[in-house]
Amino acid sequence: MNDIEQAIYDFIRENFNIGDDPDFTPDVHLFDSGFVDSLGAIEIVEFAEERWRIEITQRDLTLYPMNTVEEIAAVVASKL
Amino acid sequence: MNSAVMMLENTVRHFPDKTAVRDEWEGLTFQALRERALSIGGGLASKRGERRGILPVVVYLPKSADAVACFVGAMYAGEPYVPVAADIPMLRLQSILKSLRQGHLITCPQLAGNLEGLDLTGFTVHISRELRTLPPDEAGAMARLEEVRDVDPIYIMYTSGSTGTPKGVTIPHRGILDYAHWLEETFHFDEKTVLGNQSAFYFDNSTLDIYTMLYTGAEMVIIPEVLFRFPAKLPEFIEEEGINAVFWVPTVMIAVANSGILAQKAMPGLNKILFCGEAMPNRQLNIWRRDHPGALYANLYGPTEITDVCTYYVVDRPFEDADPLPIGRPCRNMGTVVLTEENTQAAVGETGELCVLGSGLALGYWNAPELTRAAFVQNPLCPDYDQRLYRTGDLAYVAPDGLLMFVGRKDSQIKLRGNRIELGEVEAACKTLPGVENACVLFDAGKEEIVLFAQTGEALVPRKVNLELRKRLPAYMLPGRLVCMEALPQTPNGKIDRVKLKSTF
Repeated sequence: MNDIEQAIYDFIRENFNIGDDPDFTPDVHLFDSGFVDSLGAIEIVEFAEERWRIEITQRDLTLYPMNTVEEIAAVVASKL
Repeated sequence: MNSAVMMLENTVRHFPDKTAVRDEWEGLTFQALRERALSIGGGLASKRGERRGILPVVVYLPKSADAVACFVGAMYAGEPYVPVAADIPMLRLQSILKSLRQGHLITCPQLAGNLEGLDLTGFTVHISRELRTLPPDEAGAMARLEEVRDVDPIYIMYTSGSTGTPKGVTIPHRGILDYAHWLEETFHFDEKTVLGNQSAFYFDNSTLDIYTMLYTGAEMVIIPEVLFRFPAKLPEFIEEEGINAVFWVPTVMIAVANSGILAQKAMPGLNKILFCGEAMPNRQLNIWRRDHPGALYANLYGPTEITDVCTYYVVDRPFEDADPLPIGRPCRNMGTVVLTEENTQAAVGETGELCVLGSGLALGYWNAPELTRAAFVQNPLCPDYDQRLYRTGDLAYVAPDGLLMFVGRKDSQIKLRGNRIELGEVEAACKTLPGVENACVLFDAGKEEIVLFAQTGEALVPRKVNLELRKRLPAYMLPGRLVCMEALPQTPNGKIDRVKLKSTF
């Protein structure tokens, strides 16, 4: 994992009661697998916007998949 | 020629090159929509084979302009359509196919693989991309439309059933024809209207978007589903896409209001805001009216068993945050009666069961005459001639000013984020979970959460329980909370003590 992936991974693990669940990997679908619900999605985007001082627009959300730690990190990286 | 598809025949003559519907991937003009639908209709009709009777068209596709073309295509084939979600659990799809008995199923290569293992006896499977390459079958469509009566079914929508099996609500063409006309007259929709579609297509609120588009020449923009996870981003999308009218579930209205974005991001173009599906709290409506003034706000009401909407209230005065919002008065082609338990008309202010009548009434539940007879009954206030009523199971009263007020439910049906859910269906699915000996499902209204009380010897992991339930239930029906117990409490006569469990909330 790169630094961005690691930061997002840690944020989700700490904030969504995941503990040491072995199914929680950087490429797992966060929503289909039930780790994060739709309200959690907002928290993750807000975390990324504040942490890296970027804006994730409606266009980013509709153009790029953001369902895994890796996918979210890729959108963040494209804005830095 | 009483098919609702005649709306499109008329509109396409006026606005052939105007955009009808668009999604993230493509936009279709009215001309293109008609041509694609004629191809699909011809392709469906050519595969009747030896089958007799109605062949409903199950549309198993992602929410898209193409799915809309398939609905219209079913109409050109002279058959009703059955919208289902792209993420429908396969066991649920199987029970829908079993209820339909025969018909067509349209899907796409990405979803077709999920059908493996299903019993598709009686069904012809089509790939939408292949259907649309067929030549538009105009002559065939016109011949088939000659046979369509206004009392024939236009769509069948499956809704949660209390025993665990979904019920297929069957709506006639005339319901849609009257509804589209009433909408246009009441809200002045026209070809300059741009609708921001939120409703899933398997939910009847989508008929407002689809048939306003077909009837008036309005444009329908399918808002990407991902944006509803990020309500604060919706105003930006609405402005960029030029959307000027929306029909949303209150859950979305509430989330946008709570995000605080309305005070920061103006949407000068958005001037018609309609909502339906559950109670709209005045606290959030007041935020909308304060931060987005000047728009028309209307509260619409209607169960799936009538054509989308049967009563409406255009918000015309201020309300305190804690006040309830009226559901208003019947639409022109509909009527309402509030019945007491003795089947008499409730007095003003007296709560009773809200019953609905009129041309928008469903024909009944598909292939389920007993369920139909129980829910659609003769109006007890009208002994002299036939008049069918639908008993909604909703409790309501008429206020002194004549406006209907919604109170709650008679039974264990709930509304969660705008979705209609029978707790009995969730409970039936939970009882099939491995390791669960017995289950009780209740709704915690305070926290807006479905709670599963499971009798089990193991410590179950909520996430894994929900993954298992996802094989039978749509995501919106999953419990939000799991309580594991060695034994569920019982009443003296041996039933699960639901009152005691509820007292833990």
